[in-house]
Amino acid sequence: MIQRKLSIILENKPGALVRVVGLFHQRGYNIESLHVDPVEDLKEYKFVEDKLNIKLKEGEVSHLIIATTVNDNLLRQILRQINKLIDVLIAEEVK
Amino acid sequence: MKLAGNDILIQSLIEEGVEYIFGYPGGAALHIYDSIFKQKEMEHILVRHEQGATHAADGYARATGKPGVVLVTSGPGATNAITGIATAFMDSIPMIVISGQVAKHLIGTDAFQETDMIGISRPIVKHSFTVDSAENIPEIVKQAFHIATSGRPGPVVIDVPKDTTAPDKLFEFKYPNDVNIRSYKPPIDPDPRQIERAVDAIIESNKPVIYAGGGAINSNASEELIRLNEILDFPVTNTLMGLGVYPATHKRFLGMLGMHGTYQANMSMHNADLIIAIGARFDDRITNTPKLFAPKAKIIHLDVDYSSVSKIIEANIAVFGQVKNALLEMIKLLEVKKELIDPKKILPWKEQISDWKSQHGLNHEMHLCETDDKPIMPQAVVQHLYNITNGKAFITSDVGQHQMFAAQYYHFDEPRKWINSGGLGTMGFGLPAAMGAKLAYPNDEVICITGEGSIQMCIQELSTCTQYNLPIKIININNEALGMVKQWQDMNYGGRHSASTYQSSLPNFVELAESYGHVGIKIEKNSELKSGLEKALSMKDRLVFVDVYVDPNEHVYPMLVAPNGSLKDMWLDKETKT
Repeated sequence: MIQRKLSIILENKPGALVRVVGLFHQRGYNIESLHVDPVEDLKEYKFVEDKLNIKLKEGEVSHLIIATTVNDNLLRQILRQINKLIDVLIAEEVK
Repeated sequence: MKLAGNDILIQSLIEEGVEYIFGYPGGAALHIYDSIFKQKEMEHILVRHEQGATHAADGYARATGKPGVVLVTSGPGATNAITGIATAFMDSIPMIVISGQVAKHLIGTDAFQETDMIGISRPIVKHSFTVDSAENIPEIVKQAFHIATSGRPGPVVIDVPKDTTAPDKLFEFKYPNDVNIRSYKPPIDPDPRQIERAVDAIIESNKPVIYAGGGAINSNASEELIRLNEILDFPVTNTLMGLGVYPATHKRFLGMLGMHGTYQANMSMHNADLIIAIGARFDDRITNTPKLFAPKAKIIHLDVDYSSVSKIIEANIAVFGQVKNALLEMIKLLEVKKELIDPKKILPWKEQISDWKSQHGLNHEMHLCETDDKPIMPQAVVQHLYNITNGKAFITSDVGQHQMFAAQYYHFDEPRKWINSGGLGTMGFGLPAAMGAKLAYPNDEVICITGEGSIQMCIQELSTCTQYNLPIKIININNEALGMVKQWQDMNYGGRHSASTYQSSLPNFVELAESYGHVGIKIEKNSELKSGLEKALSMKDRLVFVDVYVDPNEHVYPMLVAPNGSLKDMWLDKETKT
């Protein structure tokens, strides 16, 4: 198993981050590192707008990066679980 | 129109068409309760414990398909609701739980009856909201109902700080017409390429089985499933949660599968070359050891929830979307490709299944025993109930042996008639769930099949039934022990009955029921069984508590051999293993 990085765009509102973090423990996955920032420069996030057909505003969403060590099947399962959270816009692996 | 926060909340629920709200008042919810007092559109049902409120709302939701609504106060009111929320979450039942909260300026101060409801409920809700201002209540309620009822349904908590429902501050009230949550778009229509692959696999198969679960009921797909199988004529099994979605009296129905599934259902799944999973999630009670599950089968999995597919068992063909829509598309394509289906090809498979059924199928004639030298068999109680009610009653159950006997021997021909806690396995569910179903369908027979262990976990709701005149029937299959625990102890722990018996401490259930104003009937002999049950069911306007003493040594069979067994490994009785 190798370490994977997950890139997660979520609503920047109270309680959103803890839903993602809580899910890791709840489903028995471990978080090895975690970094989160509100998105100020929207240029790099056009893919979110294109994928969901929405318009983002500065500071409205956060970008969360989580590192975890899992195999392919579990990674797919984790991403599906995270994407299911209502406050998450996009969750994917950083290749 | 200008309204205060408490009225805005109640008007929003009325806008959503809520008929009943199940709850229990307390300090943080008092503003809201005052608004309930002032309106006539919906009825509040005062339960005797908040767990009862959640289960009653849950029973209402399962019977109707509409979301159940709960209102509790902060602190202990909220924590008492947790078991019922988790029950609804595990079985994907739409529910709205409104919890009072201390005023915003008190949050985090360990105020009286303060608890972090959003935090405590987070792992067992589909989503949750905290009301920050009365102005936002309509939007939040609209979103909560949308989330609870769409995609894979589930419970949604709305935590309401007391100050946001204060009666002295008025806001403009307008209920939104539509809802749009940009990060929540559950799939509806399936990908046509996957439908095509599924249909091709169906046409190629020689040993197919349809395996349908609670998701097919949630998607209201019973009619489509029946239509699909009018074309295919495949054997069908249902999970515990799926019972009723395919008619149990249909000749292609194999019975329930899994831990206490029928021999023919489990053998068919194990030996199949194609499994069509419809709104089912390959739970551990179904698969037994996943590595040994259906070794030769290709899997088609229809589900609305991406994360349920290939979670336990890898799907070869995944069809995402509303199960109902997916089935409709499959029907359309199969009608086009009709001439490619060779019904003769699967005849040997059907013969094999019919042999399995005649070898070790369930005995549906245990009710014929009327001799009093033998104890009453719990299966016979369910068989009599089935016959007396012509299979038309709503049956709720609790958890344990009686639940499995009910699932095995009451043949459900329609969805939503069988109401039980499948995923969480919550004892205490049956009685309050029956209240919810009876309120929704006052003219239908609603029967709670329970045991003396489970019924005592929410027995206080007998008082609620008195207050609101809910003439349900409670059939207490009394074996004077925690039967399923005892069965496991018999089978795996050398018969050491650790904490599974009561040492003569059981109450007199007949007198207990009577003290709440109900009718109690005690049955101890086979010769009294049929007439006693008939008498109970003939009292249409009374709650009747029937306490039936059954054989305390009876076990539920078949039973999968675990751990390390497959679906073909079953105990068929106390001595025989496959």
